[in-house]
Amino acid sequence: MTTLRFLLLTILLLTAPLAPTAAQEAAAPSATITVDGLSCPFCAYGLEKHLKKVPGVERVDINMKDGQAIVHLKPDARVDDAALKAAVKKAGFTARRITRP
Amino acid sequence: MRYIWMVALAAGLVAPTVIAHAGPITFNSALPVADGMSILRSQIKLVRKSGDATPAGRVLNATATPVVLAYGASPRLALFGVLPYVDKRLDVTVGGTRIRRGARGIGDALLFGRYTVIQVDKPGDTLRVAPFAGLKLPTGSHTQTDAFGPVPRILQPGSGSWDPFLGLAATRQTLDWELDAAARYRFNTEASGFRFGDEARLDASFQYRMFPRTLERGGVPAFAYLVLESNLIWNGKNRASGITDANSGGLAWNLAPGLQYVSDRFVLETAIQIPAVQHLNGTALKSDWIWTAGFRWNFFF
Repeated sequence: MTTLRFLLLTILLLTAPLAPTAAQEAAAPSATITVDGLSCPFCAYGLEKHLKKVPGVERVDINMKDGQAIVHLKPDARVDDAALKAAVKKAGFTARRITRP
Repeated sequence: MRYIWMVALAAGLVAPTVIAHAGPITFNSALPVADGMSILRSQIKLVRKSGDATPAGRVLNATATPVVLAYGASPRLALFGVLPYVDKRLDVTVGGTRIRRGARGIGDALLFGRYTVIQVDKPGDTLRVAPFAGLKLPTGSHTQTDAFGPVPRILQPGSGSWDPFLGLAATRQTLDWELDAAARYRFNTEASGFRFGDEARLDASFQYRMFPRTLERGGVPAFAYLVLESNLIWNGKNRASGITDANSGGLAWNLAPGLQYVSDRFVLETAIQIPAVQHLNGTALKSDWIWTAGFRWNFFF
């Protein structure tokens, strides 16, 4: 019984630091940009770099198949659609729609 | 010596064709270079010409290694600089003796700009049309000598002339395939009593995505393309000291199957240009093949 209690305590201690991070991520704001004209991996790099340059953007995930760039914002960051659209244009593409959860 | 001169002139298309830019392997595309982004590209191009109908038995081997730097000055304007290193060798029989002539060194640089005038973007699909114009600069030497005296101009790394060119590139790219077409004309000018004939090109390229077969995994997967390119090239006759060389220039049509691996940061590519039709003037040497292999790498300063 003592061993089992020790194991449970160890697992709890190891996973405890992850819990707030996951919660924070779930709560972190994001925006999904539907990008028209994105049809080649080599061109996707420029899009990612320009979106990352927008102040308040923490991470960018691009999905070629759906033509979407999911922009993860820093907590409490305020990034307006115009800034995101301008970044997409600088990369040489067209932002058709921006949705936020 | 005069015979050698004429033989060398007849060697024809030794000067490397424009090898640069994003998209197809053997010519220009209209694909975007993001604002502020740079692309470094280099290729190695091996050219072999033989099949000489004259007793001289000429065989030409040339290597060109151009280094290309592209820069996105704006989402629509891209600037390009090309600097090649070239090595040309001509084996020829003169008076029963087999000799080799040739030269190597930095070739002529190209500077040009390309501006996107039509951009139609749809989901996973883009159409771009972009005219381009530029100048070939005489950065390569055209006065090298060897054991037989001055190396013939056709074998020199540079032309010595300032040659403007212009053209139009069009690209339709989807997630599954890409179609490119380009037309270009170069006005060659005279330098030190020699003038290469003008050059006109019509190029086309079709690329089909082989891998991954589907894009279900999401993210930005690397693509592997099967490529087929077509190059229709016309060269005018050269002129030396005011005399037209009847054994230079002509029309050639090459088909180039190739492979291309494209990731978000780099491209690896190779193609072999095989002559399908060659209507060359006089005894101009015919091309056997041209093999090209290269890479591209994109970065931000």
